[in-house]
Amino acid sequence: MSNFFLCLGMGLFVLVFLCLYRASFGPGVLNRIAGICAIGTKTLVVLLLMGFIYNRVEMFIDISMVYALLNFIATITAAKYLERKGEL
Amino acid sequence: MTRVTDDIIIRTVARVLIPFIQLYALYVIMHGHHSPGGGFQGGVILGVSFILYLLTHGLKEAKARMSEVKATLFSSFGLLIFSGIGLLCLIMGSNYLDYGALSTILKVIPAKARSLGILGVEIGIGIAVMAVMFSIFFDISTGGELPEDEENLGERDE
Repeated sequence: MSNFFLCLGMGLFVLVFLCLYRASFGPGVLNRIAGICAIGTKTLVVLLLMGFIYNRVEMFIDISMVYALLNFIATITAAKYLERKGEL
Repeated sequence: MTRVTDDIIIRTVARVLIPFIQLYALYVIMHGHHSPGGGFQGGVILGVSFILYLLTHGLKEAKARMSEVKATLFSSFGLLIFSGIGLLCLIMGSNYLDYGALSTILKVIPAKARSLGILGVEIGIGIAVMAVMFSIFFDISTGGELPEDEENLGERDE
């Protein structure tokens, strides 16, 4: 079971780079924001998988909750900045 | 950044979410010495809740909850707790922040005194970090205006 989680985590780790490409070269601000949000969500899942591999999920859940929270706030802040600028 | 948003979804979600964020921050601070996290991380989460309030409800309402003066007082108070516990250890005849010396005051065994001491220090760090986080965001989003000319900051967004 641990190998399964490891492969899953490595697959997500590769997918992060695709999102990073979209976040750094993506046309427009909205694509960048969406890419950064996707990276945050993938990091959260990778953290939980690490918890499953090390058999300490209850600790890694704390970290991943903080990550989800900060990701949410970062998205709201970016959207607010966009709203104020008024252009894409 | 400090203008009131007129989106009811964001305001409602923030209003529902902020108490849970603060509760979680208190959990992170309280369990800092036997799980990940601690004073700094919990303080950042606590500060994020105020930053979310400032983002969604605007400067005027946020200042009623947490003003610049309050932030300064809270950061000084947190530092006072931190250094006070450290100096108390020094007075009890041990090293700075050596909590084992507090066992005579708290009337517990030294191991328990160390646990309680680090808990107190983390509460102090959490309060200080929360206030400083909010203060940094406040200063950046208001453009570093002085507290005296804050009256017309709400509609100063272009």
